[in-house]
Amino acid sequence: MATVAVPQLSGYRRPAVLEWITTVDHKRLGILYLYFTLFFFAVGGILALLVRTQLAVADNSFVGNDAYNQIFTMHASAMLFLFIIPVWAGFGNYLVPLQIGAADMAFPRINALSFWMLPPAGILMFAGFIVDGGAADGGWTAYSPLAQQTGVGMDMWIIAVIVLGMSSTIGAANFLVTMFRMRAPGMTMFRMPIFCWTMLVTALLQLLATPVLAAALVMLFIDRNYGGQFFDPNGGGNVVLWQNVFWFYSHPAVYIMILPGMGIVSEILPVFSRKPLFGYKAFVFATIGIGGLGFSVWAHHMFTTGSVLLPFFGFMTFMIGVPTGVKIFNWLGTLWGGSISFPTPMLFALGFVSMFLIGGINGTYSAAVPVDFALHDTYFVVAHIHYVLFGGSVFAVFGGLYYWFPKIWGRKLDDRLGKLQFVLMFVGFNVAFFPMHMLGLDGMPRRIAVYAESTGWEALNMLSTGGAFLIAVSMIPFLIAVVMAFMRPKDQPNDPWEGNTLEWATTSPPPDYNFDSLPPVRSERPLFDARHNGEGH
Amino acid sequence: MGRVPLPRRFRLFTALIASALLALLVTGTASAIQPGGITDEARKMNDLFWIVTIAGLVVFVLVAAALVYALFRYRRTNDELPPQFHGGGAIEMAMVGVPVLIVIGLFTISMITLVEIDDPAEDDALTIEVTGFQFSWQFAYDLSDLGTNTDPNAEGTIAVIGTPANDPVLYMPVDEPVEFKLISNDVIHSFYVRDFLYKLDLIPGRENKFTVTARELGDFQAQCAELCGTDHALMRFVVRVVERDEFDAWVADEAARQLGEGARVSTSGTQGD
Amino acid sequence: MAAHTPAGHQGMTNSMLGFILFLASEVMFFGGLFAAYFIARADAPAWPPESLLTPEQIADGVKLELEVVLPAISTGILVLSSVTMQWAVWQIQKGNQGGMLWGLFISLALGLIFLVAQLYDYTQLHFRADDTIFGTTFYTLTGFHGAHVAGGALFIAVVTVRALGGQFTAENHEAVEAASMYWHFVDVVWIALFTVLYIIG
Ligand code: HEM
Ligand SMILES: [Cu+2]
Ligand SMILES: [Cu+2]
Repeated sequence: MATVAVPQLSGYRRPAVLEWITTVDHKRLGILYLYFTLFFFAVGGILALLVRTQLAVADNSFVGNDAYNQIFTMHASAMLFLFIIPVWAGFGNYLVPLQIGAADMAFPRINALSFWMLPPAGILMFAGFIVDGGAADGGWTAYSPLAQQTGVGMDMWIIAVIVLGMSSTIGAANFLVTMFRMRAPGMTMFRMPIFCWTMLVTALLQLLATPVLAAALVMLFIDRNYGGQFFDPNGGGNVVLWQNVFWFYSHPAVYIMILPGMGIVSEILPVFSRKPLFGYKAFVFATIGIGGLGFSVWAHHMFTTGSVLLPFFGFMTFMIGVPTGVKIFNWLGTLWGGSISFPTPMLFALGFVSMFLIGGINGTYSAAVPVDFALHDTYFVVAHIHYVLFGGSVFAVFGGLYYWFPKIWGRKLDDRLGKLQFVLMFVGFNVAFFPMHMLGLDGMPRRIAVYAESTGWEALNMLSTGGAFLIAVSMIPFLIAVVMAFMRPKDQPNDPWEGNTLEWATTSPPPDYNFDSLPPVRSERPLFDARHNGEGH
Repeated sequence: MGRVPLPRRFRLFTALIASALLALLVTGTASAIQPGGITDEARKMNDLFWIVTIAGLVVFVLVAAALVYALFRYRRTNDELPPQFHGGGAIEMAMVGVPVLIVIGLFTISMITLVEIDDPAEDDALTIEVTGFQFSWQFAYDLSDLGTNTDPNAEGTIAVIGTPANDPVLYMPVDEPVEFKLISNDVIHSFYVRDFLYKLDLIPGRENKFTVTARELGDFQAQCAELCGTDHALMRFVVRVVERDEFDAWVADEAARQLGEGARVSTSGTQGD
Repeated sequence: MAAHTPAGHQGMTNSMLGFILFLASEVMFFGGLFAAYFIARADAPAWPPESLLTPEQIADGVKLELEVVLPAISTGILVLSSVTMQWAVWQIQKGNQGGMLWGLFISLALGLIFLVAQLYDYTQLHFRADDTIFGTTFYTLTGFHGAHVAGGALFIAVVTVRALGGQFTAENHEAVEAASMYWHFVDVVWIALFTVLYIIG
């Protein structure tokens, strides 16, 4: 069944800038989210290069200890709070209404509000660099009492994170209502595209976990500014309370940071294997399971505090490996027996699968409590984080960009440049982060500004720094591809990839209100059904 | 959509994957030299480390092999639609069952290790009170609590206090359980000795304890593992494991220096052969 | 443009569902604060933790004591306002605008009385937010609750103004229902607070 493109409806014209600022259209807001988050990806990346430069050689004095603490704290804060969490809101904003065949999000104006909370928060957080005492420097985890000691930059950080949290909380409610209430006729919950499902579970986690972070930050703010005693043992407070409340949010948050990435990969693999996602329902239940278990494992970040129930949290953490394993099977099963092609989005998706596999395996090391005693707070954990968040989430971001670029901007990114980027990034990533496993095992703690030459850590650190710069280089072909794409006219058909889901049923880019007409939805792959008249079901 | 496989590009891709795998394998074997450990506890943790590693490697190799195989075997060679397989029953059960088994196995083994390493010291074991502060360490020895050779009538405490520029040395005797009491009065620090394969946090308002028995002599580099401010990276120290009589001699020296010649210390009499 | 009739969801509107989700996040926020309170209590040798007071604090006349009578009356007031608020909803469901207006006015007035009483109560206490974890948790919990009461009162005020403009009918009065729901939420949080801080405390 074919759909017809409608010409863009246009009312009166306002200046373009004004139109972007006042827009409540989910597509434009999605694009704004993407620009905003990619900007902070670049900022966070530059900070990362500073970190790696400092660590390249032993006893380095490139940046001082004080500056170093600010730099790595702001690196993580930018990457997590200003890039990876909101980037999914960007993809989600653009794609969820399209994928469920809706005209917009449930609450377009609240949607705009969610977005416009981000820039002030980002500016506030980074303005820390120009105030007395510098930016926040207690790590993104802001452990108290250390977080009580730093200057006003820390207060700015706290407020910024609260605002970002509010943005994602109301954004989450918006996504949930949109998905619960605005699906196209025929689209039951179990026919919803898998990306939407991952956004749904992500939104639930955000809705329920983010307010707890807000509570923690409020307490920290009160302790810092009004003499509060929440985290001060002299006044009856409890130092470890911060960690409990912080991780009650932040463990679910690590899934907030990756579930939509899994969703993107699970959209891409079937399309380029020409098969349905293997075990769609199992995937959905695994996603829900991860979400649920995510609330019961927070203390695995606190095994070395001597204050947590080790067997319980060890067990629950291992259990998270089960739904994670299920997903690996989902992806393998999707490829198996398929007819696989390898355009750039597929390469990034495969990069995700392989790197996430490593990130799952090295996570188990820390789930084994006695091993974690050795590895906690060492570079091994840094390796783990990056295998899941970079090898996982960031690869998914780029996969998603290459995949939906034609839909969003009506042009394709050059495939050869894309492959070049992938190769550079994949190699650079592994060179940068694999050695960190060994550094961690060899005893290098994380968050140190300098190490002595006698430690013998220099060679691997140098290697890792080289890899980091290779990752930076891999952004060049990407930028060239983007510029080249924008120099071309919009020439993309509705469905350049033989897609499965509804966004491919409308023009590229879609008109205001998205659809002229919708194909019937009888499975989770309405466009596949339309192409093949439902065979295969 | 375009036609079929681009064999050249495809080879590029597989070559890439293969070389990455190879690189991982190589560096992986390099890290094979890792853990180890010098205490009884560390040796048990080392065993667990290897079990986890082997399990992890097996999973990795199997999955990676399946992945690479699938990419080769099922690359697009014609424009036909492959069988549309959605999954089902038995396979999906296996998808859950296999990880469950692996995970339960690893959990059980790690709990056994946890119990084994977690035996509190006898009351009469040597106790070292470790205080972390921004940005160094203090190691205090109560002369009436020196373990094997304690003179119950000894009085006083000796202490080693470091600075960020001058790493303190923590003396401990070999082959006997030593209990560490961890205290902090400013922010959180973490007592981390790489060759113990162990760390435990020093938390204001809490007293954490652990016990180890060192089995190797020598100097071991160690440092704070919890971000604690500007000079966190300089919170280093050295663990010096020595024979008991050397330890006693050191205590005697320090006691004489710190408490004056008259102090009674534990080294009297029991020095053995 | 395709028409999307939300299949099988009569009754609750999107806005109402969104609002309920928002309330769920509020519950989690207070949950975080309550958790802090319970952990503090579990850690404390006694409650109130008088033993933590420094000699200077004692010399300053700090006493970790709560006055229960006024808050008990306040509790009654807030519960009553919840009832009147619900009454307003029932009235407009029957199309009775006048009845609704009375309900809104009374609820608003009771809410404001509650706030004033709480502020007065603050002035009568002999401890501040920086006097041990007792003071910190007390003022944080009641303060954030008070802020929510103020927010709820503002919400009711806006609804009242709209009601005066005759904007609500038996069919169309979602804002009234939302305000009422929010008000019940604030009420329930207070009852939890009162129980925990005053009765068990
Ligand atoms: C099989 C699945 C996983 C397991 C068993 C696991 C386990 C763990 C454990 C036990 C830790 C604490 C390590 C320590 O600090 O000693 C940890 C840290 C971490 N994990 Fe995972 N993890 C898994 C998947 C993920 C995923 C999917 C993400 C994110 C996308 C993630 C992100 C992180 C981050 C960011 C930290 C470090 C937080 C910090 O200290 O700053 N993990 N993981
Ligand atoms: Cu976690
Ligand atoms: Cu430190």
